[in-house]
Amino acid sequence: MHDTPLIGPYSPDDVLALEPDGSRTARQFVSDVVRLAESLPNRLTVINLATSRYEFLVGFAAAILRRQLTLLPQSRAVQTLRRIAGDYPESYALTDRDDAIDGIESVAMQQRQGLAPWPNEIPLVPLNQVVAIAFTSGSTGQPMPNKKTWGALTAVAHATGSRLGIKSGDRASVVATVPHQHMFGLEASVMLPIMHGLVMHAGRPLFPADILSALADVEGRRILVTTPLHLRACMTEGVRMPPVGLILSATAPLSQGLAQEAERHFHTEVHEIFGFAEAGSVAERQTTAGDSWRPLDGVRLQSSERGWTVETDYLPAPVLVPDRITVDAQGLFVVHGREADQINVAGHRVSLGDLNQKLLEVEGVQDGVFFLPEEGSDFVTRLMAFVVAPGKTSEEIQRALRTHIDPVFLPRPLVCVPSLPRNATGKLPQESVRELARQWLAGLGHGT
Amino acid sequence: MEHSESKPLEQELSRLIVQTLKLKIDPATIQPDAALFGDGLGLDSIDALELSLAISQTYGYQLKSSDPDIKAIFSSLRALANAIVKNRTK
Repeated sequence: MHDTPLIGPYSPDDVLALEPDGSRTARQFVSDVVRLAESLPNRLTVINLATSRYEFLVGFAAAILRRQLTLLPQSRAVQTLRRIAGDYPESYALTDRDDAIDGIESVAMQQRQGLAPWPNEIPLVPLNQVVAIAFTSGSTGQPMPNKKTWGALTAVAHATGSRLGIKSGDRASVVATVPHQHMFGLEASVMLPIMHGLVMHAGRPLFPADILSALADVEGRRILVTTPLHLRACMTEGVRMPPVGLILSATAPLSQGLAQEAERHFHTEVHEIFGFAEAGSVAERQTTAGDSWRPLDGVRLQSSERGWTVETDYLPAPVLVPDRITVDAQGLFVVHGREADQINVAGHRVSLGDLNQKLLEVEGVQDGVFFLPEEGSDFVTRLMAFVVAPGKTSEEIQRALRTHIDPVFLPRPLVCVPSLPRNATGKLPQESVRELARQWLAGLGHGT
Repeated sequence: MEHSESKPLEQELSRLIVQTLKLKIDPATIQPDAALFGDGLGLDSIDALELSLAISQTYGYQLKSSDPDIKAIFSSLRALANAIVKNRTK
């Protein structure tokens, strides 16, 4: 295993990132990383909570140089962070704002003064060094750690770049609406730009007007890394956007209709990435060109007894694909849906069975079930829940749930009902729950 | 002047919030001064985005994160209603 440089082809004075107060050159970046690395506490793991994408990268790189592992929690919910800090007692939190988390040692990233000299050689990182852990919901409801090596992150960045025709040193700029602590965000908005010598916008625009101004901030070819939700919001608002060279979407399937609309609106191609936390990005497609996904170079799909697996040189073992797929003779594949119990809300995957279990553990809840209504609007579809809990209000149950599950999975709405339509054997047929949801949604808006 | 106008608007806005975000609450129970996000109604950034679209379509007011008052604007129903009164174009 050999070592590769921390960043791609930048000259010292090339702009690497754009912060609201100005640009950060590669020279500044390397200096910031070296300075921060000197001041980090002597720990094994770090929860990097930086809100600026650039500060996140500085913290991530400094941790790598100190051989510390960066933990990527599924959300910033305090409960989630405390649970992860409990599982990794050698952790501290790295923040770029006054947002220390109660009960977790926090280190604030200070404004760094001056410039360290440009080194003779960009710091090197061993390909087999584990640099990050991404968490997914495990079958027991406990967060499952997925180790990411430097080799895996750099291989995905290079494979994605070559698939999308991103040339090293073409000085394109990446604007991203996705969080950098999310696996796709880390790969597409952090690793992709720094491995290709691109400019990274440090912000995380949310509203269409924010996306417009972030795109207007940057020069050269613009690459927008985003999700169907943000694209739908931009279409709905009809904001006139500056020219974009490429749109990369992930976290949820993009519909043909929205992809066509977005390609017209932005005058560019919309490409999608298929991936999951256990393996990272594994395939790509131009949505308007068809349903088939083309695996990234180096990704091999293998049929196994358990289903299709992904194999690569950088993954230590084959990883099971969490969706039902069919693979054609050319190795392209079509996704037919998730494995029975798995659902995905805003890029976060979870087992419905686990959520139901958590619901039943709430005091006063006698029976209850989560339900994901039909998707397809390109908006985030939230879960619903039907709960039997005499004497409890919907708000009380929500409050109790909030401490146990990721906020993105909180039901909208949580409906209290006298009983659930269980059949004679005590089973709750999916069709009955769907009918319950249909009735409830039909009544929505006619009073509460 | 603004204050007297915002009362019926607060009610209208609470109905818009409940409908847009499919909350299972009576719009009348949203306290004008209570927090919308975090501990209050427990809304998150996806809600903020969906709510911003509904506000833009209903009142012609496009929210921006770069607005220095954005945190204050989203802090409560009353603050949001006041911002709409000031910025609405329809």
